[in-house]
Amino acid sequence: MKNKKLRQPRDRKLITRGLLMALAILMLVPVVVTMLYSFFSPEEIQAFMKTRGSYDAGKWMAVKLSPQMFSLNQYYEILIRDMSILHMFVNSALYAVAIIVGQAAVIPMMAYGLSRFRFKGRDAIFFVVIMLMLLPFQVTMVPNVLTLRSLGLLNTVWAVVLPMWFAPFYIFLIRQFMLGLPNELLEAAQVDGAGTIRCYFSIVLPVCRPILGAAAALTFADCWNLVEQPMTYLSQRTDLQPLSVMFNQLADSSSGIEFAGAALYILPALFVYLYFLKDILAGVQLTELK
Amino acid sequence: MFERKKSVWLFLLPGALGLLVFYIVPFFGGIYYSLTDGSYRNAFVGLQNYANIWKNQMFVLGLKNTMELSLICAPLVWVLSFAIASLLNRLRPKGAFFRNSVLLPYLMPSSAMLLIWLVIFDYGGVVNRLVVALGLQRVVWLQGAQLRVPVILLFVWKNLGFAVIIFMAALQAIPEPLYEYARLEGAGFWRQTFGITLPLIVPTAFLVIILEWINAFKIFKEVYFIGGAYPDEAVYTLQNYMNNMYGKLNYQNVTTAAYSFALIVFGLFGVLFLSQRQLLKRLT
Repeated sequence: MKNKKLRQPRDRKLITRGLLMALAILMLVPVVVTMLYSFFSPEEIQAFMKTRGSYDAGKWMAVKLSPQMFSLNQYYEILIRDMSILHMFVNSALYAVAIIVGQAAVIPMMAYGLSRFRFKGRDAIFFVVIMLMLLPFQVTMVPNVLTLRSLGLLNTVWAVVLPMWFAPFYIFLIRQFMLGLPNELLEAAQVDGAGTIRCYFSIVLPVCRPILGAAAALTFADCWNLVEQPMTYLSQRTDLQPLSVMFNQLADSSSGIEFAGAALYILPALFVYLYFLKDILAGVQLTELK
Repeated sequence: MFERKKSVWLFLLPGALGLLVFYIVPFFGGIYYSLTDGSYRNAFVGLQNYANIWKNQMFVLGLKNTMELSLICAPLVWVLSFAIASLLNRLRPKGAFFRNSVLLPYLMPSSAMLLIWLVIFDYGGVVNRLVVALGLQRVVWLQGAQLRVPVILLFVWKNLGFAVIIFMAALQAIPEPLYEYARLEGAGFWRQTFGITLPLIVPTAFLVIILEWINAFKIFKEVYFIGGAYPDEAVYTLQNYMNNMYGKLNYQNVTTAAYSFALIVFGLFGVLFLSQRQLLKRLT
């Protein structure tokens, strides 16, 4: 009896661990397998993908976990022979950079104004931001098309980039973080004669590093998965499409190079993840999210 | 806190201007379109478009699917993420590897994952091997109503991690002495969960379900990845309808659809908000 009681907590932890391990594997496998398949030769992938879509109950697709021969030919094809995938990859990167730079200029400033100042109408403005945050894309899409068209921006890159600069969710997120900064921090600077602008650049921004990093990573994830905006705002410009909208065409054409394309696309996301992981964790932890 | 500083407008101006031009003005400007008939005279027709759109089968189908899919996805992510966060919380301070691998998909482009999804959910793929191993019949996952399963799983795979992180932060913020005191009083695991954890986590839980719900309205993405631009009826979403109408330059229909949807969304969130307030009142 006594023995059982002693053992119980460790057993429980073992089950917890087992469950979490299974979960972690489920989360990682798609990424790992995509990477793995990018090192198969194009011919092998082509043959493999051709076995899809057979409704013959006697047949299975092979479970491939190692290539017949390790090959970089898929990468050779997409990076050197045919640059169309690379072209769209560059498009994606340009959207991501343009959007993040614009957001960095506008959004923390607005969050600062809404969190560290007391003025008439502050709550009203914040209420509007919350309401806009709740609007699904389907609602804002068409009105936005009409505006962009009258501004002459439709079917240009700005149609995708500009609205994202003011994404309400990030205003909300960063404001919540700034609300939690201790008052003494800014009061001390004010006593030393620093104005609101000095305070912003030399105190608030550096202190907000975790949430800014987290916001940058989250917004990157959005940009790297753009679908709705380019499909509607750039419907007449196939040359401006990001890579994210092209994968189902790639899968259909099954040219054998699709996994290198996917792996190439995953790679920057992986770097962003590794670089900002600590910021995401700390940012969420320190933000008053209610 | 800065008081009576004029410079606040300097900080607010760029953002407020952008919100005005790209969100607020279009939102109100679009209402005009939904109230006219779209002919060359552009006659004012009152709420006629709103009455008509409910007779439009494709709109109703898209709305129904969007609501159904989001009503499956958001609660699913919500419950799973809370369960996982609780498990992770038990392992604290260890378990960083598990936490990090759950968060990883959130940063991954689900567009690039589609290839693996097609392979796994193929009629001869790994999922069906499992199904057969369990003694069941193979399922055609990539056609018809079953298409919802891979679509939903792709959504859950990607969005689970961020919700887990939010829940974990909330769980860690609960002071440990509260539990110790409860244990001294003889409260068991369930008593502790219902007496301490849940009441303190209600505001966070509310935030997570709202965020996931907004996200789930964008499930068109996953549908488009797996089902293409003209998917099966079972996953035909509101966004598909709007893209089609937009392609036909039928602005009356699209704006009317948009505002009908907006009304429903705000109604739902309003109800959620009020019930959260009620729940908090009753618990404290």
